[in-house]
Amino acid sequence: MIHDAADPSVGEVLDAQICIVGAGAAGITLALDLIGSGLSVLLLESGGLDEETETQSLYAGSVADERLHSPPDRYRQRRFGGTTTIWGGRCMPFDAVDFLRRDFMPHSGWPIERSSLLPFYPRANLLCEAGPFAYTMDETFGPGFTPMIGGFHSENFSIDHLERFSCPTNFAARYGHRLRAAANVRVILHANLTKITLDEAATRVARVEAMSLDGKAFAVRADRFVLATGGLETARLLLANRTQQSAGIGNQYDVVGRYYMCHLAGTLGAIKIQGPPTRVHHGYLLSKEGVYCRPRFALNESTQLRLGIGNFVARLHHPRITDPAHRNAMLSLLFLAKPIIPYEYAKRLHGDERTGAADWLRHVRNVLTGPLDAAGFALHMVRDRMLAERKFPSIIIKSKADLYSLDFHAEQAPNPASRVTLDEARDPLGLPRIRVDWRYSPEDVVTVRRSVALLAEDFSRSAVGEFRYDPDQVEYEMTRYGAYGGHHIGTARMGADPRSSVVDSDCRVHTVDNLYLSGSATFPTSSQANPTLTIVALALRLAEHLRRQIAHA
Amino acid sequence: MSRQKILVVGADSFVGSRVVRALQAGDWAEPITATFDAPALRAGLSTVDGVVNAVMGSPQRIRAAATALYGSADALHTSARIVHLGSMTVYGKDDGVFAETAALPEFLEPYAAAHAAAEALAGARPNAVILRPGCEYGPGCPQWSLRVADWLRARRIGDLGAGGDGYCNLIYIDDLVAAVLMSLRSPAAAGVFNLALPDPPTWNEYLISFGIALGAVPIRRMTRRRWKIETRLLAPPLKIAELAQGRMGLSNRSLPEAIPPSFQQLCTQAIRLDVSRAEQVLQMRWTPLDAGIAATAQWVREVRGG
Repeated sequence: MIHDAADPSVGEVLDAQICIVGAGAAGITLALDLIGSGLSVLLLESGGLDEETETQSLYAGSVADERLHSPPDRYRQRRFGGTTTIWGGRCMPFDAVDFLRRDFMPHSGWPIERSSLLPFYPRANLLCEAGPFAYTMDETFGPGFTPMIGGFHSENFSIDHLERFSCPTNFAARYGHRLRAAANVRVILHANLTKITLDEAATRVARVEAMSLDGKAFAVRADRFVLATGGLETARLLLANRTQQSAGIGNQYDVVGRYYMCHLAGTLGAIKIQGPPTRVHHGYLLSKEGVYCRPRFALNESTQLRLGIGNFVARLHHPRITDPAHRNAMLSLLFLAKPIIPYEYAKRLHGDERTGAADWLRHVRNVLTGPLDAAGFALHMVRDRMLAERKFPSIIIKSKADLYSLDFHAEQAPNPASRVTLDEARDPLGLPRIRVDWRYSPEDVVTVRRSVALLAEDFSRSAVGEFRYDPDQVEYEMTRYGAYGGHHIGTARMGADPRSSVVDSDCRVHTVDNLYLSGSATFPTSSQANPTLTIVALALRLAEHLRRQIAHA
Repeated sequence: MSRQKILVVGADSFVGSRVVRALQAGDWAEPITATFDAPALRAGLSTVDGVVNAVMGSPQRIRAAATALYGSADALHTSARIVHLGSMTVYGKDDGVFAETAALPEFLEPYAAAHAAAEALAGARPNAVILRPGCEYGPGCPQWSLRVADWLRARRIGDLGAGGDGYCNLIYIDDLVAAVLMSLRSPAAAGVFNLALPDPPTWNEYLISFGIALGAVPIRRMTRRRWKIETRLLAPPLKIAELAQGRMGLSNRSLPEAIPPSFQQLCTQAIRLDVSRAEQVLQMRWTPLDAGIAATAQWVREVRGG
């Protein structure tokens, strides 16, 4: 059932066995997995079915350095479906090495191993509509698959790994009908969590209070509560509830909001492949199930541990779009179309360079000199992206000159000084707004610098081509667009020790028996992988835990 | 020991023909076939030990067969075991898990209502067993195998997204035939039995697995727009053209078969059959889905080529 907070059927006090706050990837997954469980489930969502300016503005806040982090109301959506309504769809699981305590990676180590998530990844893959849980070329395309670069061999990088792409699935549009039909799940839209009240001993949540922007207020009593509000909002809600615990809920050791990670990403250098263009297959492949897959360079676990660097992946990429010197009609068409491309996808089109009228004219000239390429590309984007339900994931340009750049995505080390805190300003519901102070550390620069250097050496050693870049530009390029947008990780980390973590291995807040967190806020480290698939897998694991807990109770 | 005589009514149907073949292959029974006009039925019924009603088709045909068969049985006061092949459609369009004891909806669409009426007539007979299969599939199956395979190979269906989240209550044809034979032979068999995989796939899972087995890859993700056009806009004229061709005596293979709106609705229905009674009483064991799909795809390749 789906109600609006304004519905008369939504009384002053609602009761449920499980109350989930936030209907994004985590919250919807939890609710879906509890359908038919016999448990009464209440799912509170701040937004409505569509984006609403007033609701979205509740996410507004400030950032310490605007060059390093996008405004807090960007890259996340406060509506039914959450940020799955705008995500890019890249899916990949965390690697085994990501869960290890690594001496060279400060504050690393999960209290669980990858094996405890493995049973949930296949179903997470299906929920994300990314096909079967198979992340190597061999598993997906069979032993005779065509490699990304023929003849490339490396002891440090695998090119057998791939990433899979969701449609990208909007969880509200895709699964809303199942929640609507579920007898044991009630979804309440326009219900903003405003207060978490603990019992007298401050060891259990007694009730939470919610309010719509037009003033309809109600309370929820439940046996168990789950905050599934994303990596930034979860920290804000914990910190903002200071009435009974002065530092905020679960924050007696000043951990909430710290260790804030995104990913380090950028585009670098020039890769010239030797031999015929047919040697390179860096684009998307369709699996039997019709899922887009893409090969990539993945830094081996053994190399990471040997060199003491974080996780890293990279892909062959087209030249920088903003620079018309590429003389590519398709890229220039994309540049010219940037006013109609959403902010979250256009950031790299805007770049940080000043593009004047002369640049625009050169882009126009590029389009005019390659009209067939531009027209074919436009048709492809309309047919395979705009009109398709399974969208072509990104721009792929096959270089006639065998010239590429390197697009990388790297792990960021946990850093307690990188944090989100509360601002002085308050939102219309009276909650303090958020302030983001994202920072990267020397370890992060080392991870990218060493990985890129290794890859350049391996290109040279394999004699398949040459990778040229300016080592002095690595740090600049990895922060050129700031923290990777939309990946909000680590602000309420999982751990065994309450002095250095917020939740235990079951995602339960250490000091509050019936309060759980679901989402990337709980990840102790960031991996190279995009977080959504692991968010969904962890949510499925939490759903099983809750079912078991309540059955035993 | 003499072989039992089993009258199979509707032996021209897919399931009926497979029942006849199975009876012929065994050593305990001899199948007798009959059309369902009353004199032929009376002649047949007077000498047989068991009856299988496997009549399929239009609502009128289902009703007429049941009326004639069970009316004739009444007239002859026969006590022969009757196995009636019904349909899960009698549970209607609601979602949920349905056991045989579930009350049937008062209002049903014509096809389901015909099955419900036929079941009621059969159930009034002593010694009757009513089987309610889900979607039968397997080699030789025109409706849920060959037709679906044609749609998949033409990329007219595939991954239906939210439109394919309903449960596909498949039953492999060999399992259905086994249930019929067990119902004829087992003295304990009585009443109604649901028949389908106990853990059915969703329609999306079935369509994707079947498409891959057929080599109809990559599976196409249908947009809601395209799916509506196929089932709402194209289906009526295709059906009319098919009927017109039939009346003119032309081959109907020259036109693609319509994907009816009822199929679209079925693919969204979250209905599951509780088959525990069939497992306990009829000792049903189910052919694994992977094996069933592989055998079916092999048969489709033989029939259609490729």
